[in-house]
Amino acid sequence: MAGPNGARRVVITGQGVVSAIGIGVDTFWANMRRGVCGIGPITNIPLQDLYITIAGEVKDFDPRERCPSKPFMLADRYSQFAGSAAIEAMKQAGYDGPVSDGHRAASIIGSGIGGLGTIENGYVDLFIHKKKATHPLTLLRSIGSSAAAHVSIEYGMKGPCFGTVSACSTAAHAIGLTFQMIRAGMVDIGIAGASEACVTFGSMRSWQAMRVLSPEGCWPFSKHRNGTVLAEGAGILVLEELEHALARGATPLAELVGFGMTSDAADMVNPSIEGPSVAMQIALDDARLAPGDIDYINAHGTATTVNDINETRAIRRVFGKDADKVSVSSTKSMHGHCLGAGGGVEAVACIKAISENFVPATIGFDEPGEECDLDYTPNEGRSREITYAMSNSFAFGGLNAALVFGPPPA
Amino acid sequence: MDDVANKIVSILKKNMKEPPETIALDTKLSDLEIESLDLAVIVFDIEDTFGIQIPYNANEEMQDFATVGSVVERVKSLIGDKGAAGAAA
Repeated sequence: MAGPNGARRVVITGQGVVSAIGIGVDTFWANMRRGVCGIGPITNIPLQDLYITIAGEVKDFDPRERCPSKPFMLADRYSQFAGSAAIEAMKQAGYDGPVSDGHRAASIIGSGIGGLGTIENGYVDLFIHKKKATHPLTLLRSIGSSAAAHVSIEYGMKGPCFGTVSACSTAAHAIGLTFQMIRAGMVDIGIAGASEACVTFGSMRSWQAMRVLSPEGCWPFSKHRNGTVLAEGAGILVLEELEHALARGATPLAELVGFGMTSDAADMVNPSIEGPSVAMQIALDDARLAPGDIDYINAHGTATTVNDINETRAIRRVFGKDADKVSVSSTKSMHGHCLGAGGGVEAVACIKAISENFVPATIGFDEPGEECDLDYTPNEGRSREITYAMSNSFAFGGLNAALVFGPPPA
Repeated sequence: MDDVANKIVSILKKNMKEPPETIALDTKLSDLEIESLDLAVIVFDIEDTFGIQIPYNANEEMQDFATVGSVVERVKSLIGDKGAAGAAA
């Protein structure tokens, strides 16, 4: 069944999430609706020499319970998050085991940085403890394609399998590429998203040195915002060609209708307005939608001074007069900045927003920041008819991706 | 300029693509085209050179980083704090 642009239609039949506001979509969404903040004092790592001591940690994550197969048990925390989210998503899509035609299935699960905790522990063993060897699984745990590989093994997905790497746009790129593969007829089903276990000592020190983290909280678009807050998590979708899903008796949760990606090709940290604007416009054009058709934008909204003004300007450039009608929010205010996994976690938020016609809030909002003049859904989520939702992801290096989700085909 | 100021000016020059011949105490950092990421690197270099920690957040306007002279004053006060703490310990 072809869509309005003649391409095969792609629906979401499963979704899974691991985050600071809940493991599993039900808990995550219930907390998101209530405006729960998952950011708090760091508990999992030593804090010496850290003056940034808050993050969005995933609490009470038990891999034995969430992803019980032996390969996952031995994997890095980042792969275990991916495993947990993938198993949840596949279960919802109706899979308890291998897919029927493995060569028509893709596993595209990225990470901004992969198994960083494993790398750090290996270096401590080598350089501090002067051990003669690292743990034998150091390499397999740390490579940024291990989550994708683990999931492909779990479900017998024998088609395209790799991880995307594009910092904070990683998950959106993974989802967008899988979308294109299904549209192009390369595969019929794909599991896509990203995972990040970035609250490690070395990572916190590196981010601290960039001077972009807030010591207090993540308050996007808000006057008192003073930086972003790192967070762990994973967000994973099962994407499927519509006919394939219906033939299996699966229930489409939403349709992925548009994808746009651009690169600023300008600066590693200072974003352009053009790059994000054109990514959003390409996604709208791809979806055959006008800006006025979008009801909700899950913004990249990192709570840095620069991003929030730039994203606001970019939305205004693309949406024109409709910018004052669209509901915008940054759910990073609740789950923190999950880096590579952000676009996956936020895609889940968009799909739930469409399903329940509810715009999640931007919490911690005091008053609008300078030049932040959109409706950011401050502090309390609200009911609103949502037909189409856009998810923005913008990354260091100027790597931009926008996804547009719509309702499940009638 | 004293020793602290000279060291800071040389750190600034080291991290600039085309450093001007003269950098004075009243030179504004914005006139030197130093952006937030440059400043993070410069602050790191200063911390490393003087063995101090400078609270700096790229998301906030910081008066301490307005001019070369204000950076020098801030560093001197942090060196002083460090010396006092060392003496007390």
